[in-house]
Amino acid sequence: MDIEFILINGIVIACIYGLIAVAVSITWSSLGLLNLGYGFIFAFAGYGAYVTSRSLSEYPPVVLAAGVLVGAVGGVIICALIFIPLHEKPNFTVRGMVGTLAISLIGSQGLLWWFGPRNKALPEIFGRWQVEIGGTVLTSDKIGIVVCSIVMLILIVRWMRSSRRGLEIRAMMMNPHAASIVGIGIRKTGFYVMGITGAMTGLAAVLLSQTYYISPFSGITPLIKGVSIALLGGLGSVRGAVIASVILGFAESLTSTVLGGQYVLITQFLIIIAILMIRPRGIAGILDVAREQ
Amino acid sequence: MHEILNVNGLSAGYGPLRVIHDLDLTIKAGERVGLVGLNGHGKTTLFYAIAGLTGWQRGSIVFNGREVGGTRSQGPGRYTHLIVRQGLALMPQADELFHGLTVEEHLDSGAFTKTAWKTRKQRKERVLELFAPLRDRLKTPVSRLSGGERRMVSIGRGLMVDAKLYLSDEPSLGLAPKIGIGVMEALLKIDLSGSAMIIAEQNVALLEGRVDRVIGMHAGKLKGEASLASSIKRRKA
Amino acid sequence: MSTPRKNDDQYLWKNPLAVWGAKGGNYDVPSIRVEDPRTVWRKTTSYKAPLHKVGRFKYIHKWANHGKRLWKRQRWWPTRRSVLLIRGLYNRKTLKAEKSIVDKRPIYWAISLLALVLVPLFVPESLQFTILTAGATFGIFAAINVCWTLVIGTASIFSLATYAVVGTAAFLTAWLSINLGLPWWMLPPIGMLVGIVFGGILALPALRLDGFYYALLTLGLNELCRVYFVTSSEFGSASGGLYGASTYIGAAWAPLTQSVVSYYGAFALLVASLFLFRFIDGRRLGRILRMAPEKREAFAEATGVNYRQARVTVFLVSSVALGFIGGFYTAQYRGVAYAIFGFDTVLLGLAMLTIGGIGRVEGAVAGTLIVVVLDKVFITLGPIRHIMIGVLMLFVVLFLKNGLFGMKQQFRAWRDKKKGEWRSSRTEKGGEALPEEATEIDDKDILYRKRFDKMQREHLKTLVCEEVIEEHKNKPLGQHSEALERLLLYFRRTPQNDKYAIRRDSRGKRYKIVAFSGVRGTSPRLVEDKEYETVEEAYHGVFRRRVYDLLEA
Repeated sequence: MDIEFILINGIVIACIYGLIAVAVSITWSSLGLLNLGYGFIFAFAGYGAYVTSRSLSEYPPVVLAAGVLVGAVGGVIICALIFIPLHEKPNFTVRGMVGTLAISLIGSQGLLWWFGPRNKALPEIFGRWQVEIGGTVLTSDKIGIVVCSIVMLILIVRWMRSSRRGLEIRAMMMNPHAASIVGIGIRKTGFYVMGITGAMTGLAAVLLSQTYYISPFSGITPLIKGVSIALLGGLGSVRGAVIASVILGFAESLTSTVLGGQYVLITQFLIIIAILMIRPRGIAGILDVAREQ
Repeated sequence: MHEILNVNGLSAGYGPLRVIHDLDLTIKAGERVGLVGLNGHGKTTLFYAIAGLTGWQRGSIVFNGREVGGTRSQGPGRYTHLIVRQGLALMPQADELFHGLTVEEHLDSGAFTKTAWKTRKQRKERVLELFAPLRDRLKTPVSRLSGGERRMVSIGRGLMVDAKLYLSDEPSLGLAPKIGIGVMEALLKIDLSGSAMIIAEQNVALLEGRVDRVIGMHAGKLKGEASLASSIKRRKA
Repeated sequence: MSTPRKNDDQYLWKNPLAVWGAKGGNYDVPSIRVEDPRTVWRKTTSYKAPLHKVGRFKYIHKWANHGKRLWKRQRWWPTRRSVLLIRGLYNRKTLKAEKSIVDKRPIYWAISLLALVLVPLFVPESLQFTILTAGATFGIFAAINVCWTLVIGTASIFSLATYAVVGTAAFLTAWLSINLGLPWWMLPPIGMLVGIVFGGILALPALRLDGFYYALLTLGLNELCRVYFVTSSEFGSASGGLYGASTYIGAAWAPLTQSVVSYYGAFALLVASLFLFRFIDGRRLGRILRMAPEKREAFAEATGVNYRQARVTVFLVSSVALGFIGGFYTAQYRGVAYAIFGFDTVLLGLAMLTIGGIGRVEGAVAGTLIVVVLDKVFITLGPIRHIMIGVLMLFVVLFLKNGLFGMKQQFRAWRDKKKGEWRSSRTEKGGEALPEEATEIDDKDILYRKRFDKMQREHLKTLVCEEVIEEHKNKPLGQHSEALERLLLYFRRTPQNDKYAIRRDSRGKRYKIVAFSGVRGTSPRLVEDKEYETVEEAYHGVFRRRVYDLLEA
């Protein structure tokens, strides 16, 4: 019941789900695609890391890199199957969303068929040590999760702010038509965006697998949490997603300590509904940086 | 001087609407051409056809020695970025800005092609010399600019690359006359060695005496330059 | 006109007027080659495209129509609604009176529902239980999807919490039935109560949020329900669900009787949900909501349509119906499994809607049939069958705009678009009338005249060359070569308005070109400032202008 425990747990949860939420937000705002296939990418990357750890090496950086890479591949697959054929067809948003759901159905059933329903565990990536700061015990996996995801987020945000590709993605977020006039290819950018967001999901998968097992359907809960965070943050806003993940992370750790695990989603959704009823565009509506349609 | 653009028998439109009828046009390097015509007579559509943004098009467009036209009926904008990378700078009528980006980022985005990206600082300097008012607004998001400044950003973005062909669509539209003239002057200052420029305009007075030649456009066809001899010659060919 | 004779390389034209001794009339005049004008006619009127049969399909039967029978319509007693919408019309080719059914959907519905009724009688013995169980599942899921269509299609609220409503109602009724011993017939009404409460809670954010925000929110709510029911101590049990409620299927009956009864029970539920759909979508509420499709709400509001209230009403009504279905579900299966809240259930449900076409009730039912058959009948295939469903869903999403039942519409839209593009890239302005204009012109003679005129001009354009112009310059009047003669004849025949003429300046004795206004009392306008010294030069000037107009028109 101590406050540090709640704080630390909140940050850890916020980090993992925040990655997925930011991925959902970036995809929505730059491609206009509501990608619900991240659940599949999550499981896919987890299995990728598992296969690597079994067949190649259990050396932690390799496993981590494998998860991230396989996640990126998953993103590229979704881009090639859904975004490329659909993006200039009528009714793209609904069809895109349903299409990613179809991919997620095929993908998770395919994993179930290939690997069987038994849960798989990844090797420990961050070792087994702990640090004590001011009377609080910080275990290695928690520190690793927080450091990895924050480094990834900062890298991506910096990259989007300063590089040529980042400018490309941001330009496409704002105005796809003008982007093509400037010489930005929508399809190629789609691959970059989906690759990067897939990599983020892959990282989240490897990080979460330190706590939970990998199974064909293990991506669904993170997906729903990530999507709810993105929703609260206001779809399309990276800043909003980060703030929302912190809020919901604390809400989750507070609820599960005070009330019990089964009320976690209830409090979270009460918060989400309350904020959305006041501001239909979520936290981004308060920050006022949402995608202008 | 070699030909930058050679449009031959171009027809273009959107769905059942045909805007451009069998149009022929040749632009040589170093030329600054005015394209004059009323609203709805196909000036913008001609530009869009060159950039591959129309609903459908038919006929040949040879841009910089490469065929970019051809018969096409699907996916407006699918090949636009490739055409743009060959050296086309389109400054569209409705500005088409990225609302959340700053002025500086806009100018950077204009130099998006790989070669131009490396020298974007010098290019930015060059554009800022033309549009001095933008200099102290580099960090401002575009959505906070006035109409004239936005037009400057839009045109400046087009001027960031060493384009072979600049297409400026109604640069003075919706601006106060004085600012409009300023924008036009800036367009005229650009050095056109080895490249060409077409300025579409409704206001003929702004173009008079400032461009090399003026072509009229009426109901999807060119007029004004044609003569009987050239008509016969064209028909023979 | 005499036939030209080919004389070595020289193309000679024989003057038909020469025998009358016209002034300066030669017998033979050397001329440039003139193509026989009839070839132009043949070329233009010939069909270049491969021909297909035009008109109505042979297999669409048309009944004969005897006038007065049209007015005697069958109606659904006691309403004034006609059973079939029949229109009398005349065949445009044979001019026979015909009767045609405007909307054939009632017939298709009747046939397919009848087929569903008859299925248990015709299934082979070995498959009896599989088919009947699958049929019962189909009935319930189709009923759910019909109500879902009401929410997504009619009310255009993109809710994914449909199965959450059904599941909650089913769980609560099962719990009540187990703990309080309620009889089975009380379960659906209690489910309705649950539905209205749950629907009310869900309706609140629906008013504020846009489509996708709401879809994601409801997806989360679905998960919330799952987690709550799985982890709560009252509903949680080891068997993967809550079972033991009372049911309308007698435990003492033979297994086959049980299956048949549950099949027809589910079928009755489906029919009831279809009636509900018909009575909401086909009547006032549906009309109102069709006036306010997505992204055009503001317009509907401006015309005085209270679409919000209508949407919420439809949403609440369908929630009540879903609650009813939840109660029925418990009463049929003695309870409910947690799987009803699962992400996969939502996915399969969405697959059913998508395959048939979102927003269409026939799509919802047909999609449910396809998915349930794949899911329940081929149960031995394992995960492969879900992959098959997923692939089917992906295929539909990638290639069909609105599911299987939107195919016809999509094909027609595509065909019309292509037609429009082809037509507009073919037709040229200034000649033939565009097809769009042609339908507006009542006097079809004008159209044919335009068509002929265009053909003629196309022919004449081929005759224009330097030699002809040179010939006219040398001798504007008198006998000419065939090509020039044809051109001049055409020019002379042009209508009065904007016809060129020559005006002689009385003082300067110079000539200028003017054009007639074509209106009596309005003087001709000056065409150009150029002045001609002699009348012959002026003739040639007019000729040049006309040739230019011919080429450039």
